[in-house]
Amino acid sequence: MATTAAAPTYATPTAHEPTGVWSWLTTVDHKRIGVMYLYTSLFFFVFGGLEAVVLRMQLAGPNGRLVSAEMYNQLFTMHGTTMIFLAVMPLSAVFFNFLIPLQIGARDVAFPRLNAFSYWVYALGGVFITLPIFFMLAPNGGWFGYAPLSTNQYSPGLNMDFWVLGLQILGISSLAAGFNFITTVINMRAPGMNLMRMPIFTWMAFITQFLIVLAFPAITIALVFLQFDRFFGTTFYETVAGADPLLWQHLFWVFGHPEVYILIMPAFGLVSEVIPVHSRKPLFGYPVMVYSGIMIGILGFGVWAHHMFAVGMGPIGDTVFSLTTMLIAIPTGVKIFNWVATLWGGSIRFTTANLFAIGLVSLFTIGGISGVMHSSPPADLQQTDTYFVVAHFHYVLFGGSMMGIFAGIYHYFPKMFGRLMNERLGHWHFWVNFVGMNLTFFPMHFSGLLGMPRRIYTYDSAQGWDTFNMISTIGSIMVAVATLFFIYNFFKSRRSGPIAGNDPWGGATLEWSIPSPPPDYNFQTLPHVTSRYPLWDITSPEMTADVPHTPSHGKGDGQADDGIHVEHGYPTARELGIPMPNPSIKPLIVAFLIVVMFGSLIFLHVGHKPLAQIVGIGSAIAMAIVLVSWLLTPLEDEH
Amino acid sequence: MTRTHRPRKLLAAGGLAALILALAACGQDYPNSTFNHHTEYNTLIDALWDKLLFWGTVVFVLVEALLVYVMFKYRRREGGPAPKHVHGNTTLEIMWTVAPALILVFIAVPTVQTIFRTQAKAAPNSLEVEVIGHQWWWEFRYPQYGIVTANELYLPIGHTANFTLRTRDVVHSFWIPQMGGKRDLISYNKPNYVWFTPDSALASSAWNGFCAEYCGASHANMKFRVFTVTPAEFQAWAQHQKTPAAFGAVAGATPHRAPGADTTPPPPPPPQLAAVQPAAGYISFPREKMDVAMVPATPTPEGLTFPDNLVGDAERGRQIYSSQSCIGCHAIAGNPVSFSEIGPNLTHVGSRTTIAAGLFPNDTRHLALWIKNSRAMKPGSIMPTMGKNQYDPITKTRLTIGLDDQQIADVVAYLQALK
Repeated sequence: MATTAAAPTYATPTAHEPTGVWSWLTTVDHKRIGVMYLYTSLFFFVFGGLEAVVLRMQLAGPNGRLVSAEMYNQLFTMHGTTMIFLAVMPLSAVFFNFLIPLQIGARDVAFPRLNAFSYWVYALGGVFITLPIFFMLAPNGGWFGYAPLSTNQYSPGLNMDFWVLGLQILGISSLAAGFNFITTVINMRAPGMNLMRMPIFTWMAFITQFLIVLAFPAITIALVFLQFDRFFGTTFYETVAGADPLLWQHLFWVFGHPEVYILIMPAFGLVSEVIPVHSRKPLFGYPVMVYSGIMIGILGFGVWAHHMFAVGMGPIGDTVFSLTTMLIAIPTGVKIFNWVATLWGGSIRFTTANLFAIGLVSLFTIGGISGVMHSSPPADLQQTDTYFVVAHFHYVLFGGSMMGIFAGIYHYFPKMFGRLMNERLGHWHFWVNFVGMNLTFFPMHFSGLLGMPRRIYTYDSAQGWDTFNMISTIGSIMVAVATLFFIYNFFKSRRSGPIAGNDPWGGATLEWSIPSPPPDYNFQTLPHVTSRYPLWDITSPEMTADVPHTPSHGKGDGQADDGIHVEHGYPTARELGIPMPNPSIKPLIVAFLIVVMFGSLIFLHVGHKPLAQIVGIGSAIAMAIVLVSWLLTPLEDEH
Repeated sequence: MTRTHRPRKLLAAGGLAALILALAACGQDYPNSTFNHHTEYNTLIDALWDKLLFWGTVVFVLVEALLVYVMFKYRRREGGPAPKHVHGNTTLEIMWTVAPALILVFIAVPTVQTIFRTQAKAAPNSLEVEVIGHQWWWEFRYPQYGIVTANELYLPIGHTANFTLRTRDVVHSFWIPQMGGKRDLISYNKPNYVWFTPDSALASSAWNGFCAEYCGASHANMKFRVFTVTPAEFQAWAQHQKTPAAFGAVAGATPHRAPGADTTPPPPPPPQLAAVQPAAGYISFPREKMDVAMVPATPTPEGLTFPDNLVGDAERGRQIYSSQSCIGCHAIAGNPVSFSEIGPNLTHVGSRTTIAAGLFPNDTRHLALWIKNSRAMKPGSIMPTMGKNQYDPITKTRLTIGLDDQQIADVVAYLQALK
């Protein structure tokens, strides 16, 4: 702890940033957008968690009567939808936004206003899909929305309308952000930072963006079909009209499986940042970590039908998807071993961030092993749609993604807010969370293999499931308590945590060379990168002796050549002569109008056709006008 | 800053809890365990599972032990040596790429073998069973016997049953955990197949079956019972099921037959089964032999009551049934006005052990409450609320017309007479 508790050497940082609600509504600063993502996604994480606690309370004992069947079905649908689209994906986006420009030595993302637009579409879309639960109108067809159950014939209410439209809206956000970050990483890296010098988190984030832009179109198509079926009377999914009921399942899982890697890959990246820094050792096998990430991304597109072994694809199809699924275990295993090898021989500090990172390695391993178990179709036919699968993907997503994200939050909180989080509360958070998480999900392996199906709102006594379910419920309450430790720690440290300084952990990458929180322009002078660990080149040269270096010279790139340097203080952008993008409210207005446009279809479904037309077409025209005005406004002032 | 060690105690407590859990788990019965193999199908799956569990445990122990070792060995100590700055090791990295690949070969080969063995064509002369999923109940047809029944599946031990799986509405999944893996019911026109042979050594016993694919409001309440019986008992049951209703059957009214099935002659029953003498006097699986886990204990809704002193009259019940909306959905072979296929076939409903797809025991009280207000009994139930002055939770209205309690008691008496 000694290193982290270093006394502050200078006063509270003061960034010259505008304050007030308006400044947040109009900001195009990637860091402030990242912070907005953080608060919003943490809110949805807590909301989805509370939904899970209600689910667990209902299942604590046989024949539970806390909620009705309908409410339960809405809750489990929204728990999945919320956690995937509104919590874990945007929690990763927190780091994409905040970190990628800092790690690659850029002053912002490629399209700052598009970035703001992505956030507002996400936030408003999240509200759109979340609010109906307060009116018993929340989606109730599962996060996977299988047709034909999700069609009008079997889900005539507004519930699945909100789901279809909400997911379409959220898809816009993800796609816009995906293209934005791909462009950013390709075009905006600091001089000298070639691809194999990119920080590992940025690499994993880069791969994730490709997964997003390749996977989301599949679900967009699936949702457009469903949208047309539900609102305009087409029959893409009407089996009585000859539709193949597997059309939806294939389209959905072509998206759905890469989505799993969209959820886990950023966490892999965060852990690969945290473990080396907190163990005082460079990442073991950086190139292999990059290649295995790329391999996982590619293979992830060839395994989707392993979600469908029970649909009767025939032995050939089952074999193909079984073998491709097993192959994914290889690059994933390589990552696990490389993390262990990074720890091996290190000087491991058990900071909260590192505990969560090691927690990911240990828990994701369990999820990975059970994943191999259901890559084997005959075995999977006993496991699929039981609690065994629930156990599996919670080890992957809670034990994996969320642990990685918590590691990232504890690690980067000082960079975001200039203050360290409380380690004592952090340890409480980790251990209660770790024990609670295992108590919740490990017994589900047993209840599943002992025959308990998923998505049931009630079960009968004497089925041999009572004990396991009770333990799971107790565990889920522990996780809720752990989250309270985190929330308290977050806000307490935000207000009065110890001042962090530039580089509280001894980091290797560029984000630690600038003040915490970073000034709006990030870098006073753009760094010139000479190796994979630019900051260690100054602070711990012995750590980077073995990696390739190029001499520092900034010829021809038009930038001042300062090599690598540490920056202090907060001179304003104006003083430094750095042109900054102007704030704009237009991204928010366009995002709002998109939500209104999609939402107008709801009026169609309740029989107000003229109202739907007026609102729909009106908002589309208004959106086009604002969009044109946005595009015609220059990003920066003349200079 | 001093770090608290209390969280570590918490870990110890968690470990203890896990141990207690494991011990508690050993002392219980698991009526739906996938590990018991009573068919060749489940035996093959379980053999595969054993390999998966073995290799999974090897990897788990290896990785977690390595991790724990590293954490203790290389935790930061005051004045400890500075770490060596290793950036990678090609030999090691190749090793831990190849080792998992080798383990996967040990899993992949038996996997592929088992895929092809379990998805081969069923043996000729199997017992054909057609499974039709409905929101939220199961229709079972035995085309070789001309039997249509619901929510209770009879299988002769030692004989392969070949299931043709169809659905009338959304996707369902047919699953008997003790008998083998699940298979989805994806459409009516594109059936799926699964087959297995209940072990000939099995005693006559009852099992639980489930719908495993989320199918809407009452997905949790879409269960069924499976009875593995001796061939003689099966033959007796089948003979009985083929006869028209045991009460009030009109002479000459033919047993119900699925439309389309009339054009082709029914396939003959499997010869080995047909050769067996039916067990004398056997109608259905004896209720007293049912395990407690197969007897539903679902609570009935508060406020839904039925006077238990009413005595029903079966003949009056038959008349009420035949003149009310019941016949719009249900079929009873021998009752000439009752031939609809929307709801479960009720020809021998009195001999079934459960109602509402395994949700309630088939007794006077539950049957009466079910008819009175099935939608209060089973969320989303498509069968309308029938009782006078009852509140229908789906249309959100209170019925002003409908059956009074005496009429319901009469209908119950009629249904119970349909042994």
